Amino acid sequence: MTSLSLDGLRREYGATVAVDRVDLEMQQGELVALLGPSGCGKTTTLRMVAGFVAPTSGRVVIGGRDVTAAPPYARDTGMVFQGYALFPHMSVAENVGFGLEMRRVPRAERGARIAEALRLVRLEGLAERRPAQLSGGQQQRVALARALVVNPAVFLLDEPLSNLDARLRAEVRVEIRALQQRLGLTTLFVTHDQEEALTMADRLVVMQGGRVRQTGTPEEVYERPADLFVAGFIGSCNILRGVVEAPGAFRAGAMALPCAGGAPGERAALVVRPERIAIGPEGRLPGRIDLVTYLGGTTEWHVTTDAGALRVSQKTPDAADPRRLLRRGDGVMLDWRPEAGRLLSDSNEGEQA
Amino acid sequence: MNESGRAAGRPVAALVLPAVVLVLLMMVAPMVLLFRYSLNIFSPTELMIQALTARNYLSAVTDPYYLAVMATTIRMAVLCTLIALAAGFPAAYTLARMRGRWKAWLTLATVFPLMVGNVVRAAGWMTLLGNAGLLNAALKASGLFPDPVQLMYTPMAVALGIVTVVLPYMILTLASVIEGIPRGLEEAALNLGARPLTVFRRVVLPLALPGVVAGSALVFILCMNAYATPILLGGPQFTMMAPAVYDQFVKTTNWPFGAALAFILLAVTLALTLAGRALLQRRRHPA
Repeated sequence: MTSLSLDGLRREYGATVAVDRVDLEMQQGELVALLGPSGCGKTTTLRMVAGFVAPTSGRVVIGGRDVTAAPPYARDTGMVFQGYALFPHMSVAENVGFGLEMRRVPRAERGARIAEALRLVRLEGLAERRPAQLSGGQQQRVALARALVVNPAVFLLDEPLSNLDARLRAEVRVEIRALQQRLGLTTLFVTHDQEEALTMADRLVVMQGGRVRQTGTPEEVYERPADLFVAGFIGSCNILRGVVEAPGAFRAGAMALPCAGGAPGERAALVVRPERIAIGPEGRLPGRIDLVTYLGGTTEWHVTTDAGALRVSQKTPDAADPRRLLRRGDGVMLDWRPEAGRLLSDSNEGEQA
Repeated sequence: MNESGRAAGRPVAALVLPAVVLVLLMMVAPMVLLFRYSLNIFSPTELMIQALTARNYLSAVTDPYYLAVMATTIRMAVLCTLIALAAGFPAAYTLARMRGRWKAWLTLATVFPLMVGNVVRAAGWMTLLGNAGLLNAALKASGLFPDPVQLMYTPMAVALGIVTVVLPYMILTLASVIEGIPRGLEEAALNLGARPLTVFRRVVLPLALPGVVAGSALVFILCMNAYATPILLGGPQFTMMAPAVYDQFVKTTNWPFGAALAFILLAVTLALTLAGRALLQRRRHPA
């Protein structure tokens, strides 16, 4: 069942277009992340779903009902705001109960549901505190409880982790995902953090300049990026520019490199993830090491080749492995499987990301 | 922080010294003197006889005339404060939620009336509200009221005049507090299903309460002590306390009684301001 659908959503501010042609269909229980750099239109899109921003054109449909013209209070959404937006003059229980009160839930039932919501976010015993008496992480959980206690058709999260420190962020990430899956919440989540999006979302919507660049599962978006922007924004990648010589052969500089498919004569960019490049004494592409970075579990080698500079990332080799002895200036051979070399249309947008 | 705090404490104390000296000299000293006068006895021939008596206070609080003047003053001050609050809140909210260039202009427009003196402004009201004034001319021209309608020298004229004087103070005080209420809180309430009026009642108003308290106290004090407006727009039949005090000093030269009236006005204003404040703050934290 479709819980949320966005249909050709567009928003202009004067002469600038903040959001353009955003289409999205979300299934019940799905978690979708709107991901992109700041100013890409992801927050404006979320605010159009919540009803705080009116679309210039397009439709927002929640649970089969067209709510494009409906005010925020008449939409069945539960939003967690970036700064949490807890009511400072109300206790934790009053904050969580506010939505129930607005829905005229009887007092007795309200109490039970508040207690249940606080138990879900592990805040039992803090019901009578004021928001100012709580830590950042606790405030965040109150905001979650307040939004989910009303069983909204769509759960909206606006950069909910950005105000937490790194350690807490990783913890809360797992917690939100577990809660979302357990309760089957249809969730739309805004973030600029690709790691956050990859670890939490069922699907990603990668946005840039108000447009959707790609929609897909984390695996699809990472393995088969639609364009250079997506390739550069999700994870890191090597980009080589050149021409397709024959299907499966890409010429960059003096070298013919393995790639997946391609039409001969086409100018293109070849995208290879650093961890898909094998480094060692054997291979097709000779190069010289510029820099070795030991990162504990993984090691990175920056290699200059005739085709261009490449970054290679592999699990740190065993102590006996000759690759452990590679130093700056050493000659090496690089190679990758043809399907690891993805051809994308050549534009300079990827470099800006 | 203690060491640096103590070290920084001394120059700070030096900075407030001029203001303290000024207040002591110009405010406290005259008031102490005035209070001393209020305990003296008035004599038509010698004007003031040194004494230590409460008789001025007693005759003021037992005189039906002054009780009526005080009642009029309190009624007018309460009425004007409520009108200023009701009219000022929407304006203050709009001002606080505005952005950019328009906000600066609107703030200036709010302050602008303060640049015109009370007397000048009251004179303006007189040309508007007088029997031969603009409003009556318009009413006559419309044919509905062939005879002039009495607008000047009515309590309504006084209330109108006082409210326009105090409104900027109310708006600016409220706006500064409302600006401190994050917009996100209103959005959160809307998102949870609250209609705009409920958002106002449950979120904006409770959080703006310190501004309501401060603005109302400020405006109430200004209203209790209004002088030029009640004289010019109220006429001889309508008397408030500040003009009554002035009459005692200047017209009847009864300084002891005038001083006593002044201190009664001060005490009543203070008591009512504190009572109103306590009332509003009790509403904020219901038991």
